[in-house]
Amino acid sequence: MGKVKIKRKSTLIDMTAMSDVTVLLLTFFMLTSTFLQKEPVTVLTPSSVSEQKVPTANLASVLVSPEGKIFISIAGDADAATKDEWGSEAIRRQILLNAVDMYNNQHPSNKVQLTEQQVQTFSKINMFGVPFQVLPQFLSLSQTEQDKFISDMNNKGVGIPINDNKDMERLNEFQIWMRAIYNSGNDNLQKAMKKGEGIAVKADKDTPYNTVHDVLDNLQTLKMNRFSIMTALKTEQD
Amino acid sequence: MAQIEQSDNGKKKKGAQKKMSIHVDFTPMVDMNMLLITFFMLCTTMIKSQTLTISLPSNEKVEQNQMNKAKESEAITLILATDRNANGDVKKDDAGRPMNTVYYYEGMPEIADADGDGLIDNNKLKAEQFLGNDGKLQQGIRKILHDRNKQVLEKIDKEKARWRAKEFSPNSAINDSIYQARAREIRNDSTLTRPVVIIKAAPEASWESLISALDEMQINQISRYQIDNINKTDSVLILDYLAKHPKK
Repeated sequence: MGKVKIKRKSTLIDMTAMSDVTVLLLTFFMLTSTFLQKEPVTVLTPSSVSEQKVPTANLASVLVSPEGKIFISIAGDADAATKDEWGSEAIRRQILLNAVDMYNNQHPSNKVQLTEQQVQTFSKINMFGVPFQVLPQFLSLSQTEQDKFISDMNNKGVGIPINDNKDMERLNEFQIWMRAIYNSGNDNLQKAMKKGEGIAVKADKDTPYNTVHDVLDNLQTLKMNRFSIMTALKTEQD
Repeated sequence: MAQIEQSDNGKKKKGAQKKMSIHVDFTPMVDMNMLLITFFMLCTTMIKSQTLTISLPSNEKVEQNQMNKAKESEAITLILATDRNANGDVKKDDAGRPMNTVYYYEGMPEIADADGDGLIDNNKLKAEQFLGNDGKLQQGIRKILHDRNKQVLEKIDKEKARWRAKEFSPNSAINDSIYQARAREIRNDSTLTRPVVIIKAAPEASWESLISALDEMQINQISRYQIDNINKTDSVLILDYLAKHPKK
């Protein structure tokens, strides 16, 4: 009878292959990822069967919070290499200057003055939404303070003021912004807005219709009759 | 972490070169990578959201005689409403679906009350829901719209079958574009009976229900629809309907 020999094996596992796999996965995620854009409120968009993709460049998206606060985010040309072209920062800067100009023309007694520093800060913000009067104060805050400020839905100084206004001589603040975006000087953005791809309205699925209706109505008044609505994907079966 | 082993098996020979085998322990490396992967997975948006393009009519006043009036027999009006609780949150039914109701009537509304009992004599308003499909069968409001647009859908289904079989062209891109063009032609073919849908949303109706209604237009290949504001007649009709059909 031979004795059964138990071989002593080392418990070391070769992790090289595992490491290879993880690095590959990591590369994949790093290359395919687009980071979540910071938004003051998280909204769950309703689902639809439409399969059109959201454009990443030349887009003005209007976010409507369930409380009815309006925020706007602007993206310029994606492949703008130099500052002279309409990259996101350049275009935001131009839009801000246009909008403040229009506002000051309408309210000569209550003008808003921005410093160069504040304009610089604005061009780096993805999504904004404060009344013009609060703008200088908001732009002097640090980035974390800005995020905190804008996420407070109970604050009256948050959200772009909007009302039912058909008077084209005296635009409300939302209309001023949309007009400024339309006349930003970037032809590509204007073209996209005319086609209806350049404006995207994003609202939570439970938001009452009359809240969103304000935005739709204002866009209609501005003759921006074609626009898109952000949705999630669903199949025809549900 | 990394170790160098001498493979000498205990015997020592003089003059023979020492054989070294190097082991590097990759476990910490894997740990770190996994952490990074987790970070990227949590921070990315894999699914890009979709968009739905709509065009609203211009706000300018149109002269009465310039208006395109829909034929009464073709018109169907949807009124969207959503049940909300005291906090304004959308109520859910037992299956977890939001309680969106679609009221609809065909043709012109009638609010005549000849016998004076406070109820409309002939309320054409009916209520339906967004139920989607049950297998191949349409349910709820989709069935109503599907039946109204049958002629168009039948023709498009035929084209769809040809498109699936790639009959138009073996090249899938050309195949697609020919199918799309044909479908558009059929949708806009005025010789077929096609409905004109007017979508109205009550102020408390959820945004989701409006999108669902627009979706039904796309699913049922309805080319003529518009979003309109709710008016007094519509509210009267709904109140009357609710008076006759009290909710449990």
